[in-house]
Amino acid sequence: METRDVFWRIYRQSLPVLFVALLGGLFAGLVLEGLIESVERFPGLLVMVPVFLATRGNVYGALGGRIASGLHQGLISPRLERDDRLVNAVIASFVNGIGISIVIGVVTWLALFLLGWERALLVEFVLIMLIAGVLTSVVLIFGLLLLIFAGFKRGYDPDNLVGPIVTTLGDIFGMLFLLFSVSLVGVVL
Amino acid sequence: MITPQGSLGTWNWKTIVGNMFPLLIVLTVIVLFAGVRLEEAEEMLTEFVILAVMVPTMVDMGGNLGAILSSRLSSRFHLGTTTLDPRDRVLWANVLAVLALAATIFTALAVGAFLLGQLLGSTLGLGTLLVISLTSGMLLAVIAIIFSFATTYASYRYGIDPDDTTIPVVTNVVDVFGMVIFLSVSALVLGV
Repeated sequence: METRDVFWRIYRQSLPVLFVALLGGLFAGLVLEGLIESVERFPGLLVMVPVFLATRGNVYGALGGRIASGLHQGLISPRLERDDRLVNAVIASFVNGIGISIVIGVVTWLALFLLGWERALLVEFVLIMLIAGVLTSVVLIFGLLLLIFAGFKRGYDPDNLVGPIVTTLGDIFGMLFLLFSVSLVGVVL
Repeated sequence: MITPQGSLGTWNWKTIVGNMFPLLIVLTVIVLFAGVRLEEAEEMLTEFVILAVMVPTMVDMGGNLGAILSSRLSSRFHLGTTTLDPRDRVLWANVLAVLALAATIFTALAVGAFLLGQLLGSTLGLGTLLVISLTSGMLLAVIAIIFSFATTYASYRYGIDPDDTTIPVVTNVVDVFGMVIFLSVSALVLGV
């Protein structure tokens, strides 16, 4: 029964990583619960949270998918080396990840402005996003590559690893760096 | 990087950024709706703190399940092994595996949230959390599956590399649905 084999293979390979993702998500939830208190200092902050967390799926999920396909096709090898393809994929992720963070700050402020809701300053939103975006991209890009390569060498299908790794790292570090960034900007400005 | 553009093809960073950045901006605007919805629900989240703790998992798991499926679909396209034939039993095995994973994980989410809730002094019972988690979770899984197929197929048809589009579109749409479904189901169940 090929069908049954495929079913169980996907289920068994994905479940452990999804459980790790669940733990990461619950941890991020605890941080989010703490972040809700900062809403008074930065009104409109909650609007940015899902958008900021979604970026990791967009930028680093795409990087992971590209690396997974590259490994499958034998275009790249599972090592952190100065390979042209790998370097280009990493540069693109930095540019995309940090660039979109700035856009998020601006767009959030604009949306709140258009809705006529209470909002923090534009420069506060942009700074919070920039700091959180830079820190998150460093940890996510290198963390993702190391984990995919390690999994691939142990015989895991990188396709099953990418999504959960990205969301788990993104949840934990995204929320922590966001909380850090919010506190930092709260102190400095 | 001084490399001729042609030799790297779709791996050139300028090509990747050029293809993706406009899409990223569109996706940002889409997910903004989830943010607005979250901001609106602030009162409910302050009253039932355990719901705030569930939000990231609720939003991500749909994306995770969608990513598992679309990543597999797009690798199959790259290797040239897929046609979207409803009689293809391997495709059905993929879909069933995703549904089984969803049922397992959203049950675990309810149990995990219940246990954390005991520490945070939450008043919501395990039964209530199971109803909220499984109802929103299974709805979300179905949406994730539909979008995985639709976007992988569409990007293949239009000659766009699925890696650059499929996973982003699936995660974001499911993010928005996840937030909206979860907050609506919670409000309905809790009668807020």
